[in-house]
Amino acid sequence: MDFIQEGFIQAIKLLVNRDPSTYSAISATLRSSTLAMAASLLLGIPLGYILGYFDFSFKKHISIIVNTLLSLPTVFIGLVIYALLTRNGPFGEAGLLFTIPGIAIGQTILSLPIVIALTATAVEGADRNLRITLMSLGANRKQIAASTLWEVRLGILAAAVTATGRVLTEVGISLMVGGNIKWHTRTITTAIALETSKGEFGMGIALGLVLLLIALTINVSLVGLRRRI
Amino acid sequence: MKRNMNSEYKVVFSLVLFILLIFPGVMLCANSSQAAEDKDELLMATTTSTDNTGLLDYLMPAFTAQTGIDIRWTSTGTGKALKLGENCDVDVLLVHAPQTEIDFVKKGFGKDRRQIMYNDFVLIGPPGDPAAIKGKKVSEAMKALRSSNSVFVSRGDNSGTNKKERALWQLADVPIPEKEAWYRQSGQGMLATINVAAELNGYTLADRGTYIKYESVAAGKPALLILVEGDDVLLNQYSIITINPKHCTNVKYDMAQTLSAWMANKEAQNLIEEFKLFGKQLFTPNADQD
Amino acid sequence: MGIYHIHDLEHYYGDKQVLSIEDVSIPTASITGLIGPNGSGKSTLLKLLVFLEKPTYGAIIFKGRKVAPFSHNIRLRVTLLPQEPYLMRRSVFDNVAYGLKIRGDTKDLKNRVEEALTQVGLDSERFARRKCTALSGGEAHRVALAARLILKPEVLLLDEPTASVDAKSARLIRKASLKAKKDWGTTLVVATHDWQWLYETCDTVLHLLHGKIFKGGLGCAVYGPWRMGQNGLLHKELEDGQVLNVPKPEEGKQVAILDPSKLEVLLPEKGLSLKWNINSLNGFVTRMFLERNGKTVQVAIKIAELVITIRMERDRVEALKLFPGKEVSISYDHQKIEWL
Repeated sequence: MDFIQEGFIQAIKLLVNRDPSTYSAISATLRSSTLAMAASLLLGIPLGYILGYFDFSFKKHISIIVNTLLSLPTVFIGLVIYALLTRNGPFGEAGLLFTIPGIAIGQTILSLPIVIALTATAVEGADRNLRITLMSLGANRKQIAASTLWEVRLGILAAAVTATGRVLTEVGISLMVGGNIKWHTRTITTAIALETSKGEFGMGIALGLVLLLIALTINVSLVGLRRRI
Repeated sequence: MKRNMNSEYKVVFSLVLFILLIFPGVMLCANSSQAAEDKDELLMATTTSTDNTGLLDYLMPAFTAQTGIDIRWTSTGTGKALKLGENCDVDVLLVHAPQTEIDFVKKGFGKDRRQIMYNDFVLIGPPGDPAAIKGKKVSEAMKALRSSNSVFVSRGDNSGTNKKERALWQLADVPIPEKEAWYRQSGQGMLATINVAAELNGYTLADRGTYIKYESVAAGKPALLILVEGDDVLLNQYSIITINPKHCTNVKYDMAQTLSAWMANKEAQNLIEEFKLFGKQLFTPNADQD
Repeated sequence: MGIYHIHDLEHYYGDKQVLSIEDVSIPTASITGLIGPNGSGKSTLLKLLVFLEKPTYGAIIFKGRKVAPFSHNIRLRVTLLPQEPYLMRRSVFDNVAYGLKIRGDTKDLKNRVEEALTQVGLDSERFARRKCTALSGGEAHRVALAARLILKPEVLLLDEPTASVDAKSARLIRKASLKAKKDWGTTLVVATHDWQWLYETCDTVLHLLHGKIFKGGLGCAVYGPWRMGQNGLLHKELEDGQVLNVPKPEEGKQVAILDPSKLEVLLPEKGLSLKWNINSLNGFVTRMFLERNGKTVQVAIKIAELVITIRMERDRVEALKLFPGKEVSISYDHQKIEWL
C-alpha cells in the first residue's frame, strides 16, 4: 500500500522538477496518440457514416466484422504490425520499426473500429425524418452527409473520446512496435510496464497518475468544445 | 447577429485544420529523430536483466563520446532479442546465453561473437530454507529442491537465465519440472520473478546483478537471501554478437564491430569493473580471456 | 399541362402496391387537396411529388420534364412539409436559414429569416435565438414551415399540416400557405382531413383510396361479405336491407368501389329501373358544400352505412331542390363497378 502513497508524491515531483525521462515519455505518448487519432478520425468518420447511413446487402456482415475488431488485443496488433514492418517484411524498407510513426500505425488500427462502429451507431440513431427534412430543403448528397454528421456530432465526439482513451493507455502496440527505447519510443505506458517489472511500483503508480492527468486535461478542454458545438 | 454562411462548417473545418496542422508537425518531429537515427546510429538488442542493472545507461555514453556513434537499444527477453537479430531489425546483440549464441553464429545469423564480461547466478530462497540447500553444491541443491516440494519459481521464458536453470536440472540428473504443483513458471522478467518467489516464500535462480537490485529496492530487508553460490557452473557469460552482413544486407556492420572492439578494450573493461550497484560490483570483465 | 402531370404511375413497397394512378394533372398555382383514409397512399404520393423517391413504374412530369431525385431542376424548387417535421439541433434562426445557406443564397439573411418567421406568426425577437428543443409542437411546426417558405418554392407540399397542432398554429399555417400562393404563385398540394382546407381553400380535391385516385368526389369502398345473387352477379346486403349488385370480380379482389363520377342522383319518385343494367339505392343528403369555383356543390349522401359524396352542378342541385336531410335515390350501373 505504501507504494501508492509514494506514487502520488513521486508524480508531483516528476512533473514539478521536469524530470527529463518523464517528459520524454509524455512527448512520445502524445506524439503517437495524436498521429493515430488524426488518422483514425479522418478515415473512420466517413467510413462510419457509410456504414450507418446506407443500406446494402452485406451491411450486417460488415457490422459483425467491425464489432469483432473492437476486441483486437493490443499485443496481437503489435505482433501483426511488427511482422509488416520488420526488415524482411513487406514494408521493411520504410524503416518504421522502433519509431513513433510505427507505433501510430498500430494505434490507428486499434482506434479505427471504435470510431467506425460508434459513428455508424450515431448516424443510425439519427431521426428518420432528418433525411426527409434535408432533402425537402434541397440538400444534395454531400450536404446531406455533412449535415447528418453535424446532427450527430455529440455521438461522434463520444466516439473520439472513447478511442483516445484506448489509444493513450495501450501497452502492447507501443512495446512490440516501439521497442521501449529510452528517449525515443518509451511512452508512459511502456515506462510503467518497465518500472513495475523492475519492482519500482511507486514509480509505476506515479507515471500512471501522470497519464491520468493528461487524460483529464484533454477531457476538460473537450468540455469547452462540447458546449460550443 | 449576422452569422456567416458556414458557421458550423467553420467549426468542423478548423478542427480538421487543427488536426492536419499537428499531423505534419508531429511527423516532422518524428521524422527528424528518425533521420538522425539512420545516419550514425547503431541499434542494439539486449536482455531486460542487462538493461535493468543500469550498466548500459552508464557505459554507452562513454562509447558515444569516444567514437561519435550514437547507440539505441531495446531490451526484451533473450529469445526475442535473438529473433530481432535474425530478422535483421537490429545491428548488434548483447546477450548471455552461450550455447544458443554459438548456434546463432553457426546458422549464419551472427558473425563475430566476443566475450565481454560475466557475473554469476545464485540460488535464492527464504531465510528459513525449508529445503535445506544452504551451502550445498548446485547439483545437491537441485535434488533437494525437487524432493522437498518447496515452491520454485522459474522464468519460464526461454531467457538466458531460464536456459541456465534448465541446464542445472539436467546436470543434477533431475527431470526438468513442468507441471508439478511446486514449480511455478512466471513467464516474466527477473525482478518480477523474484517478486513472485518472495510472495510465495519460494526459491528461484537469479543473476547476481538483479538480486543486488532487488536487495536495494527491498531497502535492506529482502525476503529472499542468497543460499547457493560460487559453483563454476553458475557462471553467466555476456557476449556481444555482430549481425552477419551476409544475412542482413542493411546492418551497420562496421559500427557494430567498433562497438564490439570498444567494449573489449582496456578502458571499457575498467569501466565495467568499476560499475557498482549499491556498493557492490556487478560484472567481471573477461574480454581477453576465452 | 399543369405543373405536374402524372401518368401510368405505379409504386410498390416490396410486393405491395401502394399507388396506382392513371392520369392526373395538377395545375400551376392551384391549391389541390388530397383526402383519404390512413394507408391510402397520401404520404407516399407527396414523397413522390417532392421526388424523394423514384416511382417503381411510370413517371411524374414536372413542368414538362422527366425528373429524378436530387435533380437540380427540382431540388431548389419543390419542398415538402412532412407530417412530423424534424428540426435540427441548432437554433431556430439556423433551422430557418438552412435551406438558403446550402444554396449559397445568403444575402440579407437576417431580414429574410425575420420575414419568414413573421409570416408564420412567430416574433423573431423572441424566437430566433431559441434552441429547437424549447418550442411547443405548434411553434415547431411553424418554424419548419418558415424554413420552407423562406425558399419561395414553386411547389409546397403539405402532409397533414394542421393535424397535430393547436388551433392558433393551424390557422397561421393555413394563412401563411395561402399567402405564398397569392404572393409567389406557389402551387400547393395539401393532404389533410381538415374540412376548412378542403372545401374553403382548395380548388380541387383528389380522393385517394387504396392508392387510386377518384376525381368526382369522395367515393367509398365497399367490403364483403358478398353472396351469390341472380344472373351470375354477387350482391351485398346493406345494414338497412338494401342490396348492392356487383359483377363478379377477378381472382383475389375483395373490395368494390363506388365511383361518384359514375353515379346519378335522382329523386325517389322518379327512381324507375328503366334500363336493364341500372340499379338504385335509397338514402338521404347529409352535407352540402359549395366548392370554391362557385359552380359545383359537393353533396354527401348516406345510404345505410355507406357515405358517398358526389359533385353536382349547382343548377342540378337547385332543380332537385336538395337540402340536408332530403331523401334521394342513387342510380348506378352495376356493370361499371370496379374492384380493388
